[in-house]
Amino acid sequence: MPRSIARRVVLRSAVLLIGVATLFVSAPTPAHTQGADIAVVVHPDVPIDNLTVAELRRVLLGDREFWASGMRVALFLRAPVARERDVAVKDVCQMTEAQFRQHWIAKVFRAETPSGPRIVYSGQMAIEQVTRTPGAITFVETAAVVKGVKVLKIDGRSPGQAGYRVR
Amino acid sequence: MRGTDRRARSRPRQRLHGLAWAAALLCLARPAAAQTSQPPPAPHEMPPPGQREYPSLRLAGFGDVNFSGTKRLEGPRGFNLGQLALHLTSELSPRVTFFGEISFSARADAGIGSPAATGFNTEVERLVLRFDQSDRLKVSFGRYHTPINYWNTAYHHGQWLQTTIQRPEMIQFGGRFLPVHFVGGLLEGSVPAGGLNLNYKAGVGNGRASVISRAGDAGDTNGDRAWLANVFSKPDKVFGLEFGGSLYGDSVTLADAREFRERIVAGYVVWNKEDPEVIAEIASVRHRQVGSDEATWSRAYYIQAAYRLPQFKRLLKPYYRFEHIGIADGDAMFATVLRLDSSTVGLRYDASLFAAIKGEYRTWRRGDGVPRNHGGFFQLCFTF
Repeated sequence: MPRSIARRVVLRSAVLLIGVATLFVSAPTPAHTQGADIAVVVHPDVPIDNLTVAELRRVLLGDREFWASGMRVALFLRAPVARERDVAVKDVCQMTEAQFRQHWIAKVFRAETPSGPRIVYSGQMAIEQVTRTPGAITFVETAAVVKGVKVLKIDGRSPGQAGYRVR
Repeated sequence: MRGTDRRARSRPRQRLHGLAWAAALLCLARPAAAQTSQPPPAPHEMPPPGQREYPSLRLAGFGDVNFSGTKRLEGPRGFNLGQLALHLTSELSPRVTFFGEISFSARADAGIGSPAATGFNTEVERLVLRFDQSDRLKVSFGRYHTPINYWNTAYHHGQWLQTTIQRPEMIQFGGRFLPVHFVGGLLEGSVPAGGLNLNYKAGVGNGRASVISRAGDAGDTNGDRAWLANVFSKPDKVFGLEFGGSLYGDSVTLADAREFRERIVAGYVVWNKEDPEVIAEIASVRHRQVGSDEATWSRAYYIQAAYRLPQFKRLLKPYYRFEHIGIADGDAMFATVLRLDSSTVGLRYDASLFAAIKGEYRTWRRGDGVPRNHGGFFQLCFTF
C-alpha cells in the first residue's frame, strides 16, 4: 500500500512538473502598451540627477530607503489604475498589481521597512507632496511637471529623449 | 572544568560585545536626535501636510482556517483554527521604528485543568526596535525569527504570504532542527556592490533554551551567547534571483545539564518571480558534546517549485515540494528529532487580493521503520 501511494505521488508530481514546464515555455509575456513618457520627479533637495532603471526599481520596491545624503526616501505613488502606477509597477518592477501589493505587505511584515508607498490620487497631488516632503520621489505625466521639483534622468536620458525607458 | 574555563574566558569577550553595541547605539543617537529637533505635534493635533506623525501605530494581521484528514492520526484532524497573527508597526522618529508580532494559536493543551482543555496560546513572536542609520547600517534589538533560513524570515507567521499550507519541516514552528527564534541584537545593511546588491546580517544573542525548540526569551541557559552571520545577494542583472548563506554558532545546555557546541551552515537560492517560483534551501547542523571529540553532522533540505498559471486571470498556482531531514547516527542533541522524507503537491487559488484558498496532498515517512503516512489538507488564509 505505501509503495503504491509513493508511486502515485511520484507519477502525479511528474505530470504536474511537465505541465508547469509546458506552461512556462508557452506562457505569453505580459502585454505592455507604450504611451507618453512618465517623468520621475524628486524633491529639489534630493542629491541626485540620474538613476538607472535597476536603481529606480530598488527604490520602488523599498530595497533602497535612503538617498546618498542620508535623507530617507519618501515614495509617493498614484492609486491603482492610473497610468503612472501601471508604468512603475509593470514596466519598472516587472510585476502585476497583485504581486506589487503582496511584495509591500510582506516587506512591512518582515520588518524591513516601517510603511509602504504613500498613495496620491492625482498628478497634481503627487507634485504637491513631492514639493513639500524632503526625500520624496514620484511618477507623473511629463505634462504635469511644474517648477519646484527636479526631474530625474533615467539611464542618462530625460523624458522626451529617444531611448527613455519609463513610458 | 573545561566548560567553566571557556565560560570564564568568554566573559571579557561578552563585555566587548556589549561595549560594541553600546557604541553603535551612541553613534546612531546623534543623527536621530538631529532629525527630531522639531517637536512632534501633540497627540490630538494633525501634523502639517507632508510631515510624518510620531509615533504612528499601524496594525495589520494574518489569519487562517484549516481542514485536514490523515490516514494515521498525526496533528489536528478535521477543522482547526491556525494562527491569528497581529503585526504592529510604529515609527517613533524618522530613524527609529518598532515592529511587533503577536500570535494566538489554537492548541489542544493550552487550557487549564487535567487533562488540559483546548484553548489558545499567546506568544510574542517578534519584538524589534530598530535604528536606521542608512541602507548600509541598521541596528536593532529584540526577538527575531532567526535570519539563517530564507523561509523563516520571508514568511514569518503570515500563511497568506507563503504559497503552501505548511512550512518546511526543517523550520517548522515548534521544530527542533533549526532555531526558529533568536533574542538579542542585530546589525544589518546592504551595499550596491556593482549591482550585486549584497545584504548582510550579523547578530549576537541568546541561542536555544534548554528545551531546544524554544529561544532563550528569559535569559540564556549558559554564559556563551549565540552568534550568526548572514549574507545574501539580489543581483540587478538577474532580477528575481536571490541567493545567500548563513553561519550560526551556539553552546546549548540541555535540561539534564549536558552541554553541546552547535554550528549551523545554511544556504539557499530563490527565484522570486511566480512564473516560475523556485525555493531551495539546505542546512547542516554540527553537534559536539562538551567533553567529547566526536562531532556529528545532520542535514536537511527542501526544494519547492510553483507556477502562477497565465490562464484563469492568474488566480491559480500549482506547486510541489520535496523535503528531507537526515539525522546523523549518534547525534545526541537531536536524539528525539525524527528523520523525514516528504512530498507535497498542491494548488493555491487567490480568491481575492487579500485571501487565498489552498489545497494540498502530502505523503511522508517520519522515523525509521514507521509506515508512510499521507493526508489531504485545506486552508483558507487571509491578511487584513
